[in-house]
Amino acid sequence: MNDPGSPLPYRDTKPHGAADFYFAINATFRFIEGKFGRERWIAYLRDLGRRYFEPVNARWRAGGLAEVAAYWRAFFAAEPGGEVEVREEAGGVRIDVRRCPAIAHLRQAGRDIVPFFCEHCHHLGVARAAASGFVFRLEGGNGSCVHRYEPAGADLPPSVIREVR
Amino acid sequence: MLGCYDFCAHYEWTFQWLHEQGGPALVRQYWAEAISRESQFHARELIRADGFEGMSKYWGATLLEESPDAGYHITSTPRLFRIDMLDCPSKGFLIRNGLEQYGDYCDHCIGWIGPMMKEAGFVIDHEHNHGGQCWWEMRRSDDATPPSSPGGLSAHDVRNLPGWLPENGKLDRYRRAVDPDDKAEEG
Repeated sequence: MNDPGSPLPYRDTKPHGAADFYFAINATFRFIEGKFGRERWIAYLRDLGRRYFEPVNARWRAGGLAEVAAYWRAFFAAEPGGEVEVREEAGGVRIDVRRCPAIAHLRQAGRDIVPFFCEHCHHLGVARAAASGFVFRLEGGNGSCVHRYEPAGADLPPSVIREVR
Repeated sequence: MLGCYDFCAHYEWTFQWLHEQGGPALVRQYWAEAISRESQFHARELIRADGFEGMSKYWGATLLEESPDAGYHITSTPRLFRIDMLDCPSKGFLIRNGLEQYGDYCDHCIGWIGPMMKEAGFVIDHEHNHGGQCWWEMRRSDDATPPSSPGGLSAHDVRNLPGWLPENGKLDRYRRAVDPDDKAEEG
């Protein structure tokens, strides 16, 4: 099923994922954080970023910022219910998440979202960027945010993340 | 961001991560607490309230969403709810993409469905062949009827498909089960 022409590492027979899986992602975060504490939850995400996402990281290392942008365009095209713009700008890639598909679906279903949900994008982003030769910054959260990737060494300010309320 | 498009892949990866942190007991606790009680809360509520009808509502909707090509068949009677999974969208995703981190991904289903059925007063007969095919029969816990014979309930019985028995002949089998550790025998 791997399609060498796709920026996504894994392909399904359906064009979009099933949004109810966001319920399990949210519940997984609550379980790991509740069982082990915040530091181990962060370690889980950093492991995911380095190990699970290594096929993507390898493509980013090889293809640079154009590959980062292509990945995120394909990623959000396969997630249901988001409103996202991915732009290649001077020196980086900017991802404007105007409507986060996960937060939107969890809210629509009346689910109790872990308040630190949006931090997962920061920890994954930092780990994946570090493994690929980039730096990462997240600003926002609680349903809308901006992600930025720049080459390693760029002077990005620290992430500023809003809790989910 | 963790997405739902490749959910089955990072879900399966997470089983192995949890196994490395706390062994099989932690993985089972994760299925029971995070998935059965929280994530699949909507399924639990439907089945606890409406029994077999709740199963029809839940699986009728979720399987249509996850497997729009209808790689499954549902059989419902007043005393039983049966699923024949002919082409599991979840395990199929892993197989097609060559992903296998955890020992038996298929156990996650009884890991979350089992506790839900126990709470609602049902037991499960089930077999999976690790190739994206399985069957389930849910009956009330006070109904001692044994599992059906192949083809006895459904013309779409997965056990009658030519590829049902894996090359190594190993099937995972559950009888009147509600827990992954109720696995009876393989083969």
